[in-house]
Order: sequence, then C-alpha cells, then structure tokens
Amino acid sequence: MKEFMMIFVGADYADLGLSPEELQNRMGKWFAWGNKMGEAGYLKGGNALNPNMRRIVGKERTITDLTSAEVKEIVGGYYVVEAKDFDAVQEIAQDYPDYDLGGTVEIREVMVFDS
Amino acid sequence: MNDTLIDHLFRHHSGKMVSILTRVFGLSHLETIEDAVQDTFIKASLSWRTTLPDNPEGWLIKAAKNRVIDIFRKLKNEEKKILNFDKGISSIAINELFLDTEIEDAQLRMIFTACHPKLDSKDRISFALKTVSGFSIKEIASALLTKENTIKKRLSRAKKAIITANLKFQIPLGKELPKRLDSVLEVLYLIFNEGFHSNKKEILIRKELCGEAMRLCKFILKNKHTQHPNTYALFALMCFHSARLQSKITTENELLDLKNQDRSTWYLPLISLGNTMMTKAVEQNEFSTYHYEAAIAAEHLKATTFKLTNWDKILYYYDCLYAIQPMPIYLLTIAVIAIQNKDYTTAKLYFDKLNPEDLSQRSYLYYGAKSDYYKGTHQLQKAILNIDLAIKTVINQLEKKYLIRKKEVLENH
Repeated sequence: MKEFMMIFVGADYADLGLSPEELQNRMGKWFAWGNKMGEAGYLKGGNALNPNMRRIVGKERTITDLTSAEVKEIVGGYYVVEAKDFDAVQEIAQDYPDYDLGGTVEIREVMVFDS
Repeated sequence: MNDTLIDHLFRHHSGKMVSILTRVFGLSHLETIEDAVQDTFIKASLSWRTTLPDNPEGWLIKAAKNRVIDIFRKLKNEEKKILNFDKGISSIAINELFLDTEIEDAQLRMIFTACHPKLDSKDRISFALKTVSGFSIKEIASALLTKENTIKKRLSRAKKAIITANLKFQIPLGKELPKRLDSVLEVLYLIFNEGFHSNKKEILIRKELCGEAMRLCKFILKNKHTQHPNTYALFALMCFHSARLQSKITTENELLDLKNQDRSTWYLPLISLGNTMMTKAVEQNEFSTYHYEAAIAAEHLKATTFKLTNWDKILYYYDCLYAIQPMPIYLLTIAVIAIQNKDYTTAKLYFDKLNPEDLSQRSYLYYGAKSDYYKGTHQLQKAILNIDLAIKTVINQLEKKYLIRKKEVLENH
C-alpha cells in the first residue's frame, strides 16, 4: 500500500455565493464521502483550508496577502489516503462532491525515502 | 451523534441569525450582517465535513454570538456610529438576546419588516424569502420563475425603502397591528400560491415554497399577539391545499385539476390539521377571504368523488368571497361550476358580468369555459370558435395540449 494525497483545487465556496441550503447539501456529500473512505480504511487524514493566503515570493521575500478571488486556482483542502495505485485513488476520487462547481482533484503520490 | 442534520437546518438558521444580528445592529447594517452570516455557514460546511459537532444548533448559535463581536469590531474600524454600543457589548446582554424566546421575537420583527406596506408588494416576497427564510438570490429566482437580476433589484430596492422610510425593527402593537398583520398574511399567501399554483414541473421547488409559507404561518400563530382568526384561516387553507399538492396535475385550472386528481393520494394528516385550524379560525364571527377560500378547499376535500362535490355550498362561498373581494376570476369560477351543474341560465348570468380582458393572461380560462357552455347548450360552432380563442391565448404548453385535445373531441361530435 502507498500513500496518496488528493488535492482539491478551485470550487471555493466563498466565491460561488452558495446558499445556506446548498452549503448544507454540499457538506452532507463531503460527510458521506469521508465516511465511505473511513469505513473502507482508506482515509489517513486531511484538512480544509481557509481561503485567505499570504504569499512570500522571490529573493526579496516579497509578501502579499491574497484572497481566493485573487488566486485563480486556490487549493481548498486535501485528503491523504492509502491505496494500491493511482487507479485505485482515481476510483476513490469519483465521489468528490464539487466537480459540478468547477472543482478539480489532483492526485499525488507521497514520496517514500528508503532508510 | 446522528450522522445527518435536520433538513434545512442551515437555511432556517440563516433567518434566525440575520434576525438576531439585525436586532443588535439595526436594519442599516443588513448587508454586513448577511455577509457575516454567510461566512458562518461556509465555515460550518467546511469544518463539519469530517465530523459533525455534537450540538450543531448550539455551534451555530455560538458562531452567531462571535459574529456580533466581529461585526462590532468591523463597524468600529469603519468608524461608523453605533448607538448604544459605544461602550462595548456586555456579554450578558448578548446572551440574553440568544434565548429562544428572544430569537423568536427577533424573527417576528424581521417578518413584519419584510412585509411592511412601505415596501413594494413584489419586493416584499423576495426580501422575506432572503432575510426571513434564508433563500439565496438564485433560489428565489428559480422559485419565482424570475431572472436573478430582477431579484437583485428587488432586494436592493427593498433595502433602500427600509432606510428611506426609516423603518423600525419592531413588532407593531395596538391599532397598527391588524393592518400590518394583514400585510404579513398577504405575503405568506402569495409565497404559498407561488408554490402551489406554479407551472414549474419540479415538485421539489414548489413544495419548498409551500412548506416555507406554512412554517412562517405556524410561527406567527405561536405569538399571542399575532394569533388572529385570519392567521388560523390562512393556515387551514395552506393545510387543505398542501394535502393534495403531491397529486396536483400542473394546470392553472383548479376545477379541471380536481376532477382528474387521484383522491386516494391526498394526505390525511394535513386535512385533519386543517380542520383543527379551521375550528379556531371561526371562533369569532368575522370571516376573511382566507376563511372562504379554506371553506371551499375543505368542501372539495370532503367529497369522496368529484361528482359528490357539494356545489351549492361552494357557490355560496364564492359569492361571499366575491362580496369581500370582487375579483373577476371568482365570477368565472361560479360560471364554471354552474356549467358543471348543467345550470346554464346561472352560467350565462355570470358570463355576462365578465369580459375576457378582465382576466388578462388567464383569459383562456374564460374562452375554455365559454366553449363548455356552448357545447352544453348545443351551439357547436360557437363552442369551436371559443376553444380556438382559448388555444390562441393559452401560454402553458400542458394546458395547450389539453385544449387541443378538447377541440378534437368537439369536432368529432
């Protein structure tokens, strides 16, 4: 088994002007997905991220504070899952709830260093 | 802990939070308040993804309290004057505002504000759905079959009117109350009708509007000042109509709909709740249009088949209704019932009082009924002429199909 990170890009709820009802429905879907992964033993961890961002860039270490509206493809959160290979994670990612809002899932394998 | 939340928890809490915060900060800060509330729900939806809190409602209330402090800071930073809060907010005072009774009080204030006669009647519905019911602009537009931009305009016009008229965030008392309550009931009636009579196929949206109107009506019945017989009558009417919402066939023509509905699918608990409400509504001998409309709906529900409908009683109620509120559609309905009873003299009497133009976009109902009248009195040519006019003026496609079928029957007569 290997560890993979599913990174959720785009579909920022604050930007989309979702209604309380829609937010509740979305949350329900995330909850169900989380439960499903948990029960199957895939889920190792994860977090949702606040949309405010502080960016430090360049030799001068230039600092900018940004909001989600100013960042094109903001990372909204991630999950770490345990699975056999990319195909298996791809299967898990089918249930990501926000494709219809323009959200993207990026799957990356966690690198393992031999000791 | 249960894995699922109460249906519409966020939507209903949104109305609560907006109301409480408005009570603290006043109607002039409504926009800031709405943003803050929205923000709370986004946070909740993200942090509850993996684990639901043990007490979701408590979580939301606590979040609302925190918002009070946030907004206070924000407004202070903007150097806006806030009356009464210059010396900081005492946490005891805040806690008191979040008692259940105080939350209900704030919601009632919001209902009266949203339905204030100083607001344009169309703006009231949108504004109530937004601030009281927690619908988004998109949801309101979809429910009312209107463009999002139109709803946006209505909302901002309502907010402006509130500021211009300097409306107080209060429950009206004394002489003011009956008039203001009328206005509230009218808005709830219209919201309900938008759902009940909507031509929209999706039953879900229609149910949500009807359900919301009923929830608010029930809410008004909880307060002893607003527990008026008219409120009971309106609630009874909503119960009776809702009892057959599921079996409704999308058509504006009520009688036709009733004729073709499967009566076994009517929902009995709502009928009996309606009856209880009706008993309370008639405790005093003063009847509103809601009373008569509810009485008519109840008569239809009483009949086990369409044929067994007590038309005499219904005609009587329509006469009473017309006496209070002379609307052309009532005259037409009476004529249609008379045709149903094969009483063509009465039908003609009422047709003569009517012009199809009086019914504007519903004039096809007039032509359709007139066609039935001519068919019944064996004047086939005139019957076909009128059904043609009906087909020409009808907008709804389902009803058009129905009328065309009817014409075919006439031609093969």
